[in-house]
Amino acid sequence: MRTPSRLSEPTMTTLKNPLSLEDLVSNTPDLPVMPAAVMAVIRETESSTCSAQSVAKYLSQDPALAVRVLRLANSAFYSLRRQIMEVPEAVVVLGMRTVRNLAMIAGSYPWMSRELKGYELGPRELWAHSFGVAIGAEVVARRARLNESEAFSAGLLHNLGKVAMSVWLESRAEALFDAISKDEAPFDAVERQVLGFDHMQAGAHMAESWNLPKPLVRAIRFHHCPDVVENPEPLVDCVHIADFMAMSAGMNPGWDGLRYEISLNAFERMKISPDDITSLMDEFLLTYSRHDKLFEEHPKAA
Amino acid sequence: MSDIVTIGIAEIQVRQGDVRFRCVGIGSCVGVCLFDPIAKVTGFAHVMLPASFADHEPESPGKFADTAIPALIAAMEERGADPTRIVAAMGGGAQMFRILGGGESLDLGPRNLQAVEEQLNKYGIACVAADTGGNLGRTITFASDTGAVFVKANSREDRVLCELRAA
Repeated sequence: MRTPSRLSEPTMTTLKNPLSLEDLVSNTPDLPVMPAAVMAVIRETESSTCSAQSVAKYLSQDPALAVRVLRLANSAFYSLRRQIMEVPEAVVVLGMRTVRNLAMIAGSYPWMSRELKGYELGPRELWAHSFGVAIGAEVVARRARLNESEAFSAGLLHNLGKVAMSVWLESRAEALFDAISKDEAPFDAVERQVLGFDHMQAGAHMAESWNLPKPLVRAIRFHHCPDVVENPEPLVDCVHIADFMAMSAGMNPGWDGLRYEISLNAFERMKISPDDITSLMDEFLLTYSRHDKLFEEHPKAA
Repeated sequence: MSDIVTIGIAEIQVRQGDVRFRCVGIGSCVGVCLFDPIAKVTGFAHVMLPASFADHEPESPGKFADTAIPALIAAMEERGADPTRIVAAMGGGAQMFRILGGGESLDLGPRNLQAVEEQLNKYGIACVAADTGGNLGRTITFASDTGAVFVKANSREDRVLCELRAA
């Protein structure tokens, strides 16, 4: 992997003259990209004129992506009686919202499953965490009668910024280790100390440049600090709570682990009482484990 | 060297003879290793929550401290273990960096640890060593041929936590 020349700057220079978010976007090697067809599907499902035909039309514009979506649609998770061969059929059988989620999974897996050395995450570890938060956000949204598909999308993309920031954190390993070992601040504060911004800011900046819907951008931007939002937003709270569940369940094996603040206010806003925490965790893990089948071929459909 | 048996979340596993157990992805959960050094029977549980729900049977006894430990001991006895010889080690029970607005209910790590300790006490099983708390994810490995328990916190190297031997 090519390393930008700025990565070799001495630590002190880094601290005095942090990167800008613009630098991050323009200088990060292999910056993640969401396929245009997925972005079109996301925008389409947010619009009032959305139809099964229009979703299928956008998705079919990327044949490689469409193949991956059909593979997921024919997985053991859905256990369909017969194999789906065409995208329009998938939209009719599974629904627009489900196909949108499958498109997001297919479009983000290639870059979200990378090893991220700056966070000490091995291959697929960020993916497993992000998928867990997507499922968790869906579970919370279902209880709160919110849009489950939107919650899934926000959960899946909440750590988008980490994919871009990893290489820069890796290059500032000394400052990073120093800040980590002091054990005085949550990890997002460590990121701000070392790089000048955190993965929430980086992810939101990227999501904005992708023209993702505003609520999704704000969920990425505030997922560790839901009380900072001027008017608290249910989607931010959903992702915050789902992230707590995934971290508690050990789905974040990197440097940061559980080193984040959690807000009880977010739980109160979502009407999750303290006594509900363990049953919510139980429901989350049951749902998560059932989704293993999404990545298994369905024998009948093969 | 014996094969490594990976313990998934909410799972319990029991083996007689030489075995290496590895429990990965322990956050607020607790990895509990029980060992009868004479019968060479090992039991491992990846406990996720402190207590089962009164209104329904758990689909997996390994999920809750109050069902995992009794199920683990019963399965070990079936393989020839004697509860009076069983020794234990455990790790996990991590917690979030800070909970804003209080809320002990969100402290799943300490609650899980307390629940596991209570169960071990109930059976009179001594916990020889524990690596718990903090806000790190952990991996615990146990090798029955030497009795060594290893802990890896985040990406750091495995370190020996203790050796489980006959008292």
